[in-house]
Amino acid sequence: MVYGLFLVSGLAVGSLYALGGIGLVILRNSTGVLNFAYGAIAAFSAMFAWQIADWGLPGVVSWIAAVATGIALSVAYGRLIAPSLAWREPAVKAIATLGYMLILLGLIGFIWDDALRKIELPSDKAAISVLGVRVTLTRIIAFTVSIAAVIIMVQYLRRSHTGLNMRALADNRDHAALLGIPIVKTETLAWGISGALAGFTGLIFGSLVRLEPTVITFMVIPATAAAICGRLTSLPLTLAGGLFIGVAESMLTLYKPAAPLRTMAPFVIAALVILWMQRGQKLTFAKEA
Amino acid sequence: MKLQFTLATGAAALCLALTGTNATANGHAASCGLNTGEAATGAPIKVGGINGNAPPGDFSGGTDAAAAYFACVNANGGINGRPIDYLVENDQWNPELAGQVATKLVKDEGVVALVGNGSVVSMAVNAGLYKDEDVMVMASGCAISECYESSNIVSTNQGPLPSGIGALTYAVEELGTTNAACIGFNIPNNGGWACDWMEDFMSSQGLSGTSILMDPTAVDLNSVYLQAIAEGADTILLMLPAGPAIGLLKVAEEQGGRDLFTWVSPTPLYEPGVAEVLGDYWNDNLYIHIELAPFDSDGADNQNWVKVMDAYGQPDDRRDTFSQSGYISAKFFVEALLELDAESIDRATVSAAIRGITDAESDLLCAPYYVGDADRHMPNHAGRMVSYTGGAFEVVRDCFDIESSYLDPIRAQEAALGIGQ
Repeated sequence: MVYGLFLVSGLAVGSLYALGGIGLVILRNSTGVLNFAYGAIAAFSAMFAWQIADWGLPGVVSWIAAVATGIALSVAYGRLIAPSLAWREPAVKAIATLGYMLILLGLIGFIWDDALRKIELPSDKAAISVLGVRVTLTRIIAFTVSIAAVIIMVQYLRRSHTGLNMRALADNRDHAALLGIPIVKTETLAWGISGALAGFTGLIFGSLVRLEPTVITFMVIPATAAAICGRLTSLPLTLAGGLFIGVAESMLTLYKPAAPLRTMAPFVIAALVILWMQRGQKLTFAKEA
Repeated sequence: MKLQFTLATGAAALCLALTGTNATANGHAASCGLNTGEAATGAPIKVGGINGNAPPGDFSGGTDAAAAYFACVNANGGINGRPIDYLVENDQWNPELAGQVATKLVKDEGVVALVGNGSVVSMAVNAGLYKDEDVMVMASGCAISECYESSNIVSTNQGPLPSGIGALTYAVEELGTTNAACIGFNIPNNGGWACDWMEDFMSSQGLSGTSILMDPTAVDLNSVYLQAIAEGADTILLMLPAGPAIGLLKVAEEQGGRDLFTWVSPTPLYEPGVAEVLGDYWNDNLYIHIELAPFDSDGADNQNWVKVMDAYGQPDDRRDTFSQSGYISAKFFVEALLELDAESIDRATVSAAIRGITDAESDLLCAPYYVGDADRHMPNHAGRMVSYTGGAFEVVRDCFDIESSYLDPIRAQEAALGIGQ
């Protein structure tokens, strides 16, 4: 019974990690950028949603604003900064997003002072009991959206024309350009989808965990671990990785000596997955596809 | 966009904050120092202050209030004619920067003392420097062991240890607590330190206590909550800053956990604006130990704090416990300096004057404040309990002290100084 409690609790948090990981993988697949600013975009979106609600506008406007802010911030980077790094190594592209993360974190600190805030969603009040844990509708939404995002994106990448373009870009940017694939348009779309997911994740995260920009920003770490579980390419494996990390973190609570160290779970799991993926291979730093 | 983004919005917010906490000043002008009404024009006395104001938190309330009080003192005759030149630095929670700004203030600027400090990083990094340079720090916002176990740092706020044990004392005596879970950060000189002493307190009472330590950036607060259930605790002591404490209360609300535990907290949850975030769910079910007087107290010092902040503070200055603490630290500092010959003021005389503070009284504190010459300082270890009721706070127990063997050396100092608390 007690394991069931922690399993359900872990799945709820794991779905947030998975959501973050999915957003990272979608972008990485089509642009080659591992976006470490993902959490900061989510944090900014959540804070802006709070601001909209604080101004007295209807809740639905604030939710839309969260997603729109995520798209705007993500696309802004994708259009203004990312193109000038397009031909650089993947590591350079990733490190550049760290700079964007710091800029956004600084902006958040500049705009909003350090006060107690919360995001309340109507779905926070409705709940069902699963294995003794009261699971709110917000958590169910997070879990459902993470699964839906995987299914929709897998189908989108397989069946749509722009999805095909994204896959072509992911395979080889040079060849895709030579074939006449509209790189900027395709990449902008990927930044937009990723940003929308970041905005949504920030909103849900701000409601379920707490509306603290730093905490939301560094959610990118377990999200990256989830993405690594999916080898930075596979959406279903990223989903599984996120959920597994959440459950492992939760279950470690039951073993008291490990409980204070349970936030190490994403790193340990990601490291083990990397070692597994590297088995029998020579370690290389990075290679342009 | 920012709450204080426009002057009008800022003023409105300030009015709301003051209305919410009922912290409105009665009477006339602020009272500061010599109260001459004439600006000090002599040679400035350099005093430093370090706060931590960056993600993950703003600990600037202490230096803000000290700055306001010093401005008021300067406008009222200064230190026997000499104004205070208050130099404030922000360490941004960065240990390297904390070391740099402390060195700048202590060695380059040659400040005679530091007042109103509110930065846990700076305290941990610079305790040795302060001792080596024999500069005294009259801090206002501390939460780690170094603040209370250093010869040259004396803080007006209690920090989590006495305040947490104060909350538990009330829970044991009034709410029937027998088994408490202390939820704190997994930081050895913060959550680990305070929760260890909480366990010691519970054991000294023949009761059970357990520590549940979490990473400061932990996302899965649900599991932390479930762990408390698994431990069989009947009381949860939220040994956390306000943000994560609110997060945990939200999880508990989600799980219908209000009636499953007795909920107590040290001071951090006593903050203007907390009622808006908590809502009605926690009415009559959350008890908080407060280190200083309630924000709406009629006491002369509390009222003067409000007046000083109104007249000399900035619109966006925080008005929280750290702010009260910064005000009272600055006030005691000024009173100590006024005893000195203005021309003889230097670091040595100021350090001696600060160490000479005994039996300084204020309605903001439950017991006299003192410093003395000792290897550790914790003058404030008595407080009050408030209950979260109807979206506000109501005092449910007036001043009471705590019992903890941690205070044995402190009690010995007090006995030596003839202070009976």
